[in-house]
Amino acid sequence: MPIKFEHVSHTYGEGTPFCYNALNDVNLELKEGKFTAIIGQTGSGKSTLIQHLNALLLPTAGTVYVLDRKITAGHQPKKLKSLRQDVGLVFQFPEYQLFEETVLKDVAFGPKNFGASEEEANQKARAALRKTGLDAEYEERSPLELSGGQKRRVAIAGILAMDPKILVLDEPTAGLDPQGAAKMMELFDSLNREGKTVLMVTHDMEQVFRYCDEVVVLENGKQKIQMDVKSFFKDPELCRQLHILPPALIRMKEMLEKKGFEFDEDIMDLRSFSKEVARQVKKNG
Amino acid sequence: MGNVTLGRYIPLDSPVHRLDPRSKILAMIMMLVAIFFPSGWIGYAILFAVVSFMIILSKLSFGFIWKSMKPMLVMLLFLLVINILVIHTGPVLATIGPVTIYTDAIMQTLYIVVRLLLMIMITTCVTATTKPLDMTLGIEDLLQPFEKIGVPSHEIAMLISIALRFIPDLIDETNRIIKAQASRGVDLKEGKIMERIMAILSLIVPLFVSAFQRAEDLANAMEARGYQPGERRTRYKVLKFKTGDYVLLACSAALVVCMIWLAYFR
Ligand SMILES: Nc1ncnc2c1ncn2[C@@H]1O[C@H](COP(=O)(O)OP(=O)(O)OP(=O)(O)O)[C@@H](O)[C@H]1O
Ligand SMILES: [Mg+2]
Repeated sequence: MPIKFEHVSHTYGEGTPFCYNALNDVNLELKEGKFTAIIGQTGSGKSTLIQHLNALLLPTAGTVYVLDRKITAGHQPKKLKSLRQDVGLVFQFPEYQLFEETVLKDVAFGPKNFGASEEEANQKARAALRKTGLDAEYEERSPLELSGGQKRRVAIAGILAMDPKILVLDEPTAGLDPQGAAKMMELFDSLNREGKTVLMVTHDMEQVFRYCDEVVVLENGKQKIQMDVKSFFKDPELCRQLHILPPALIRMKEMLEKKGFEFDEDIMDLRSFSKEVARQVKKNG
Repeated sequence: MGNVTLGRYIPLDSPVHRLDPRSKILAMIMMLVAIFFPSGWIGYAILFAVVSFMIILSKLSFGFIWKSMKPMLVMLLFLLVINILVIHTGPVLATIGPVTIYTDAIMQTLYIVVRLLLMIMITTCVTATTKPLDMTLGIEDLLQPFEKIGVPSHEIAMLISIALRFIPDLIDETNRIIKAQASRGVDLKEGKIMERIMAILSLIVPLFVSAFQRAEDLANAMEARGYQPGERRTRYKVLKFKTGDYVLLACSAALVVCMIWLAYFR
């Protein structure tokens, strides 16, 4: 069991007049090798939740289990560095963390911190840059001169170069162009297929629908649901109750059903959906 | 970084919170002046009583004042040592090895401690009960009369309010970047010298980049809305003195007179 939350709460600024209860008794179990989406409205505690995975935030109540480590409220965890190597966390708007003179150096910064030699780090950095779609010509440029989307790729490459076992992404595609976002998602998908456990915060239901295995819904710091993506979207009423707009395909199915079409519950991709529509149109004239 | 208490606004509802920022600033200046008259222990006792009363009235906790005081402790200890070594007047209090401690050394240090404590209590009582924006409005108004001799009161107020406005943002930003770099294995507390330098660099560069970015965005936003430094502007919030403000000012003035009397005419 790589990740488990047991009655985890987090209160910012505990014991001050500014305290805010951002997570409230969260219980989660995430299986190895899954691609999990964390969704919920702004301010629902998604970013707070994921920062517990590499102990950037410590629970103020409850216990978090990550890989073979146990992080309990009130205990300062040890060996944080190895945890942070195992759990690669890409922040919301990670482009603000770039600082080195060249893109290559910046991406190699992580591996070097975790003890890789110069040579090794550069090798890993190059490989990570290729994966995120930045070719050799970018390596010697200053990361501060790149466009927003390119910076994002460099920042993500900086985490991939650390070769983490668990990859945690906070809205990785927000603000990217649609093609760039799709490419990025393909990359995460392929990393997931290679065996990495991936956790992603997102507001894009199409992405959740298309790429993820499981979904966790947060609302006001409380965990509302953790379930299989397919069964979650099979129930559009449940989605609406949680203030989530189902993906276009699901909404289209709903609308057509109102017009007299009948669909099998298991039709969940565009191809079989259009086939089915064509079949029914032909049949009924 | 999140537990900076000195100079922080605490949103409560109290009579002191509702006072006009101008009267609070003026009263603060008068009280700070009052502290510096050598009015002896009776004077300090009176000041202490008045200031404590204000703090209770403003619903702040004394623990909060203590937190603001804490960073100064090391400095005060240092001062005590210096005073013991330097001041050799008054009756001898004790002799420890080669060091002789005189009563005046202790008294001098105590005086400074009491003054510092009073200063912190007074300023905290003002900054914690006045919204930063109200504070700048107050400063702008108080500086108005000096405009004739070329003091750009509005610009000064604008500078202060922008600086105040960005302090929490910069603290948040620093925390964010610390976390982002920690995720890449940066450890600020450990490591060799070179690693430490790299760690600090990895914070400072992004922080500067984002601060400049913010400054530019703000400048553009202000320009886009037609901001002109020299122009007269109307105000959304108009400050007005109420009874409480007159009482506060009268009391502060009385306190100053009282301290002068205690110091020189007794
Ligand atoms: N450092 C902090 N101090 C105090 N409160 C905070 C802090 N960080 C976040 N919060 C509060 O905690 C709540 C949850 O914040 P969080 O960043 O986890 O939300 P989120 O679900 O990631 O939102 P978004 O979709 O906008 O990124 C918010 O109401 C926020 O105001
Ligand atoms: Mg967030």
